[in-house]
Amino acid sequence: MVLLKFTAGRLLQLIPVLFVITLIAFLLLRVLPGDPATLILGSRGTPEDIARLTTQLGLDRPLWQQYLGFLGDMLRGSFGQSIAYRTAVGPLILERLWATLALVGLSTVFAVAMTVPFALMAALHKGGVVDHVIKVFFVMMMSMPAFWLGVLLVLLLSIAFPIFPVSGFGEGVMDRLYHLFLPSFIIALGTAALTIRSLRSSLIDVLKADYIDTALAKGLRSRRVLLAHVLRNSLISTISVLGVHTSWVIGGTVVIESVFAIPGLGYLLLSSISARDYPMVQGLTVTFAVLVVTINLITDIAYAVADPRVKLS
Amino acid sequence: MGANSGSVFDRSRRRRSLGLSAAAILAALATAGTVWPAQAASLKVAIVADALTLDPIASSDNPSIWTELLIFDQLVRPSKSGTELEPGLAEKWTVSPGGLEYTFTLRDAKFANGEPVTADDVLYSLQRAAGEKSDWARFFKPITKYTVLDAKTIKFNLDKPFTPLLNNLAMFSASILPKKEVEAKGEDFFQAPFGSGPFTVKSWSHGEKIVLAKNPNYWQAGKPAVDEAEIQVIAEDNSRVLKLKAGEVDAIVGIPFNQVSQLKSDPELNVGVANVFRIELVQLNTTKKPFDDERVRQALNYAVDKDALVKGVLRGNGQAAATALPIMAYHNEDLKPYPHDVEKAKALLKAAGYENGFKASMLVQAGDVTYRQVASALQSNLKDIGVDLQLQGIESSSQFSTTKSGNFEMSLSYASSDTIDPDQIIGFTSINPERANAFHTQWKDERVNALYDQERRTLDGPERGAMFKEMETRVHDGAPFIFLYHQGMPYASRKNVEGFAVLPTSNYRLEDVVVK
Repeated sequence: MVLLKFTAGRLLQLIPVLFVITLIAFLLLRVLPGDPATLILGSRGTPEDIARLTTQLGLDRPLWQQYLGFLGDMLRGSFGQSIAYRTAVGPLILERLWATLALVGLSTVFAVAMTVPFALMAALHKGGVVDHVIKVFFVMMMSMPAFWLGVLLVLLLSIAFPIFPVSGFGEGVMDRLYHLFLPSFIIALGTAALTIRSLRSSLIDVLKADYIDTALAKGLRSRRVLLAHVLRNSLISTISVLGVHTSWVIGGTVVIESVFAIPGLGYLLLSSISARDYPMVQGLTVTFAVLVVTINLITDIAYAVADPRVKLS
Repeated sequence: MGANSGSVFDRSRRRRSLGLSAAAILAALATAGTVWPAQAASLKVAIVADALTLDPIASSDNPSIWTELLIFDQLVRPSKSGTELEPGLAEKWTVSPGGLEYTFTLRDAKFANGEPVTADDVLYSLQRAAGEKSDWARFFKPITKYTVLDAKTIKFNLDKPFTPLLNNLAMFSASILPKKEVEAKGEDFFQAPFGSGPFTVKSWSHGEKIVLAKNPNYWQAGKPAVDEAEIQVIAEDNSRVLKLKAGEVDAIVGIPFNQVSQLKSDPELNVGVANVFRIELVQLNTTKKPFDDERVRQALNYAVDKDALVKGVLRGNGQAAATALPIMAYHNEDLKPYPHDVEKAKALLKAAGYENGFKASMLVQAGDVTYRQVASALQSNLKDIGVDLQLQGIESSSQFSTTKSGNFEMSLSYASSDTIDPDQIIGFTSINPERANAFHTQWKDERVNALYDQERRTLDGPERGAMFKEMETRVHDGAPFIFLYHQGMPYASRKNVEGFAVLPTSNYRLEDVVVK
């Protein structure tokens, strides 16, 4: 019940956020030089051709009319007609949403799977060789450009030792997960570099706490102390780092998408901006905003789960 | 106070559990590797971008055009060499002596759904292409009257002769569509369209791939040789090359120039370089000083070492350019590129009153490796004659509108031709005003304008050819551009694939491809 109320409240907050975001996206796009009709017709169009297409696309109307039209389309659940694709925006975004969600979801799972053991190892061997090796390795991974790391891993794991496919999105759930393994792993390396540092320092702080000594003194098994007391109490700050970073990943997978030929939203956004496909960029902006708000919501709920003292309100 | 972590916790146990999970992941991967990769028996081609739409009258991007040419037929089509037109859906045609009447006789062809292709379909498709919703109407507007003579014969009348028409009818935008289907389904037809061409659309995952199925009713007996062709989208150059090497695709279009020779030495691959109808050049804004002076423009042409660019940037996959016309029909073979002659360039600058050189800025598409290399080479070439070139990065989508508005001095760009007849590209690069004020240079030569007007009214043949040759020579001398080079388009296929080639028109004909 509390959870439902909390979620509903958050979704209500989304409305003004969306309003502001759509307005900014709408205006920013119009400020960009280059208009869609000229881009489409390019060398082939006469001035008359370009004027005709501009009218056809509805881009000769006053800005406020165009904006109201866009809001109307949005309320109807569609985002109008894409200028580049000449078809409805909604289905095109939906078609690619799953690729992005799968990529972000899987990379988050990998990031968490790497963070917990490596942060524990680093914290338990604070200042030791293991700690340094982990630190140096992940900083290196994070510093490498994703496309370069991607190509290197493909050379190693797809060409030299053909374990994974070079690129593509596959058919069916399992095949898709298999195709998404390497790209998700590369994104996860970047995320883990941040979350490991964060969790490691919280762990070190918590390990110094009196209640840990108490727990150990009570005779609890060290493994239980580590997982139930130390880890749980260290998670809060790492959850927020993970939340923020995941929001960033949603819009920042363009490079990985193009290296691994995954039909996700990032690449669609990039090409739509290049084509000055206003309705598509507006639709994508709203989609990204909704996703980021959703991730924040999940992050808040995760706080409450990790720390009962946190109240959802 | 505080826990000495190392001694409190049982390390060996932890290590074992970590080791276990790693082993589990590896095992899962190994199974994944052997069980899941799908192996469909089809031709897979990877290209750089997805088709945007498959409606021929609304397309302008290459992936859309290339795919449409696999699905639809036109009345006539360019030969593979790109030098002449050959029969398409029309098995023969006649042009009246005055050039005002065209009569086409259709072959016995069927659409993929088994319905015969009739003169009514031709009438419908071309009127649609010349209609209000078409981006290409201008190309077909010269036809003022259509007459269906019988089910297989159609006649077009023109008010005045327009020689490029036949070439325009070979364009993708003149595709012959099944009238009944398009009328019944409207725009939805183009989500999974079919025509009378070698393939039909089986499925289309936007941004990922288009799966084409063989058209069982295709009029060329025995073709296509493959049952299915998959056009995959691999935006990243390196990924496309690696995908071919790994055998995940059978052919790729677009290879970074610095990888061509290495791929050529790969025994598993066939590599080719198509001489596509394209020219790379630097637009010079002839309304601005000092570019208003022909001698300065010529000096810039003499100062640039084009052969070095071809060798260094293209790695030999191309050739130096003499004018703004690609190497295509009626190209003036006698015209030689401006030689690299620093002394001559300096002399010309001196004669024009710029003995001490000048400062200039050049627009360069940001983020494009090849253009960046060319730009810095030009910078150092022009430095030799005292011209201080400032590079100004610009987003590719803004470049065209910026030069169009006239707000530039120099701009590194290119032009390409959709047809095998030089009329289209010369109208764009060299005629002012026409479409683009000589590709935004504002250069104007009344003789060239007059020849252009005349060429369009002259029946195809040597006389018309001579007009193009003269235009080309005048463009060469007037130098509204720095003419750089004709860049080839590298492509590759695996050894078990026969007949895959990129044509000079930069598309590919998959009906001729055999996979062994």
